[in-house]
Amino acid sequence: MMEKEFTQILAGDMLATCSAACPVHTDTREYVQRLSRGDYEGALDILLEVNPFPSVCGRICHHPCEAECRRKEIDSAVSLRMLKRFVVENTKEYRIARQKKPAEKKEGTVAIIGSGPSGLTAALDLALSGYRVRVYEKDTKLGGMLAHAIPRYRLPVEALAQDIGDILAAGVEVRTGCQVGKDISFDDLRKENDAILIAAGLAESHSLPIPGTDSKGVFLGIPFLWDVANGMRPELGDRSLVVGGGNVAIDMARAAKRLGPSKVYMACLENREEMPAWKWEIEEAEQEGIEIFNSWGPKAILEKNGAVTGIDFKRCTSVFDDQHRFSPKYDESVTKSVEVDSVILAIGQKANLDFLAQTPVAVDRGRLQCDRTSMTTSERGVFVCGEVMTGPGSAIGAIGTGHDAAKVISHFLETGETLKLAERKVTTIGELPSATAALAKRFERVEVNLMDADERITNFSPIEPGYSESEALAESRRCLACATGAYLKSPAHCAGCLTCVRVCPFGVAKVEKTAVMPAQECQTCGLCAAECPAAGIALSRFATNGMRDTLRAILSKSDTAKIAKPLVVSYCCLNETTSRKFLGAQTEEEIRQSGILRVMIPCVARLSTLDLVSPIELGADKVAVIACTENGCFYTGAEELLARRVKRVQKFLDDIGVGQHNVQLFKTDGSAEESWPRIWEQFRSTPAQTVAPGELLAEGASR
Amino acid sequence: MIVADPKPFGQVKGYLENFEKILIVGCGTCVTVCLSGGEAEVQILASGLRIAFGREGRSKTILEGCVQRQCDEEFILPILNRVENEQIDAVVSLACGVGVNFFADRLGKTPIFPGVNTTFYGAGMEPGLWAEMCAGCGDCMTAHTGGICPVARCSKHLLNGPCGGSEKGKCEVDPANIDCVWQLIYDRLQKLGRVDELQNVLPAKDWRTASDGGVRRTVREHLYRLK
Repeated sequence: MMEKEFTQILAGDMLATCSAACPVHTDTREYVQRLSRGDYEGALDILLEVNPFPSVCGRICHHPCEAECRRKEIDSAVSLRMLKRFVVENTKEYRIARQKKPAEKKEGTVAIIGSGPSGLTAALDLALSGYRVRVYEKDTKLGGMLAHAIPRYRLPVEALAQDIGDILAAGVEVRTGCQVGKDISFDDLRKENDAILIAAGLAESHSLPIPGTDSKGVFLGIPFLWDVANGMRPELGDRSLVVGGGNVAIDMARAAKRLGPSKVYMACLENREEMPAWKWEIEEAEQEGIEIFNSWGPKAILEKNGAVTGIDFKRCTSVFDDQHRFSPKYDESVTKSVEVDSVILAIGQKANLDFLAQTPVAVDRGRLQCDRTSMTTSERGVFVCGEVMTGPGSAIGAIGTGHDAAKVISHFLETGETLKLAERKVTTIGELPSATAALAKRFERVEVNLMDADERITNFSPIEPGYSESEALAESRRCLACATGAYLKSPAHCAGCLTCVRVCPFGVAKVEKTAVMPAQECQTCGLCAAECPAAGIALSRFATNGMRDTLRAILSKSDTAKIAKPLVVSYCCLNETTSRKFLGAQTEEEIRQSGILRVMIPCVARLSTLDLVSPIELGADKVAVIACTENGCFYTGAEELLARRVKRVQKFLDDIGVGQHNVQLFKTDGSAEESWPRIWEQFRSTPAQTVAPGELLAEGASR
Repeated sequence: MIVADPKPFGQVKGYLENFEKILIVGCGTCVTVCLSGGEAEVQILASGLRIAFGREGRSKTILEGCVQRQCDEEFILPILNRVENEQIDAVVSLACGVGVNFFADRLGKTPIFPGVNTTFYGAGMEPGLWAEMCAGCGDCMTAHTGGICPVARCSKHLLNGPCGGSEKGKCEVDPANIDCVWQLIYDRLQKLGRVDELQNVLPAKDWRTASDGGVRRTVREHLYRLK
């Protein structure tokens, strides 16, 4: 894998806020930066480092990373889930090519019960460690809730298949249609394996202790979703009501709406603000015509001749007690009756642990007894992960526990000992200070339009289009690349001259004995580094060394005569590209033939005077600096500083006899792909103007 | 701070025509602050020299160095060693004249050339602008003038009020850019409620403490010639 551009922040458990918020600590900033440079494959490598389900997460992750994105202090969070989705959708072939081969086998066999995200994550980790891993799945399809409980309009089959394909390629064995406790006994599994991992999830729904729940037309949530995912169409009648206010309830209501009822309602105990479902899910449901009744508790399901005719509610006055424990209070005198033909209960899930009956694994009132820090059960060698351990949660949370389970099981297989997982102390770079944010330019988030609500309720097709390439690239550049900015090379370099303080557009640079650019505040524009008279400020994610090496390599070859003249080094604002056309690496042959050596830079204003002169020293004939479109720069004041720096270099080139016209500043006009070739052609065809050495300033002349 | 300006490129290049292995040395103090002789300027000048000589088909070795301060022996020792070990033919100092002299005294047979013109003792007025504030006369008299120095900041160094070239608070030498320092002094003393003091005529200045007294030295007895 390519070396990470900037690993400092990951050292010592100091994370960017986005990475810290992610249960598996995805190196968000790194994959977004790779994407922004057109390195989609490298971005996928980063995603797969810690998450075997990037395709799934690109569709359905609740993206805690976005909730913690520091850009929201400026305008709004970077659309990280959509960027992830773009990466996986544009690297399909690469992903297959990079699939991990089964590792060399070592002693130790593990049986995993359940093929949801936690079980399969653990399976992959353990298989890659060399253990023989078998996953037992009672259904015919792998994926657990992902395969059965998430409606297709949110998670298409292909996305899940991509992720599972990787896992199977690594040598994980699977037994689908094999229910532990029925098709194979738990005891047999124990005899055959050195360790067992229970990752059975919460596959069953709770019912309600109210009259009428056994009527025809009452559905339990998870089996309902399961049927829908498998192409069945439960009979809902013309009006249906979902009881519950969580995300699963929303899925059910929206799935129900797609099955034909003219009216779908939701009713929940919580008021609007308390509803556990994500805000955006609630909004999308309402767009689809689903009506939500808040603060109502079900009292009785009404029936006639055994079939549902309606449901009675009583007013819920509060859901939680002072300690925020679930303890609903009602006002029985306030009631509401809704006429419906079916009722779907989405009031919570539970595990089916029947397979553990008559085994020594302790289960208490339907709950598996376990220790969460060691992921152990009452039986040695029997471990647990996923929602059966944590209770209802997110897919990415379950994936996190799968990694942990693999760790404790590996340790157990190697040492026979239990491993207590240390609580990982995560420190972050903290929020973006509001004073810094106030000085940053606003760039609106690239949003996609969901399919029209009227159209999307007609079927289960995905409702959310992915980003186009130009949209993804534009959005990726909104990432602040937190804490990848400027830093002082060493205190001895700094003269405390204050130049950095004076050019910083964000008021970040300070001189406290020596210059400091606090990582928490730095916006990575690079202007301080470009102007530092001590050449003492370095940038974490930009270097011109690559250009120098390439130029040296080309010009040191024997066939320099074949290089198209004039040879132009073109520094280009990377942020203006809308495709990979100019982002990919050029071959030496391409450079020789075109006479253009491209150097892509995230804002060309960070080029120092030396950066602009040194291509000439190395043998280039001309230097083009192609900045962004007019007023398109992320950094206030950068355009003027760059223009003045180029002017200085032009004068210097006159002084040294090269001629000022051999360095020029251009603005991108329209898209990079259209504009840049025109600029290159024009610049290359202008004859190089050289000032004769004799015209240089004479000794002693005033400047 | 000592302020200096880069010498014209052609002038520096002219000094070096007959040398093959050249070391450009920057200074990390005053000339870094006034953007004329720090490490960045060393790199730019070196690159320019390589390009300019290269275009004439002359391949010289242009080396780069920078020290924290060229006016102290400990800091320049590594450069002196380099000059000897790497058989440098000529050195260009981008420090103020102090650095050039200090090197020259210690460089043996290797010539040293200035890369900047040292101009004055000044202050940064705003980004990219420095102005003279002190003349180093050796007998500071600003106690009498509200802290504002007529020696450094009067074009004629007048000590007892303005000349006839003071108009609307500006100096006739360059009205656009130079304030009449006596106007500044008057305004300042007025603010301090001490304008009456201008009635006291300052005696003729004893210039022996300035450059007229020969090469100046300063001794701090408590550290001087420690055994």
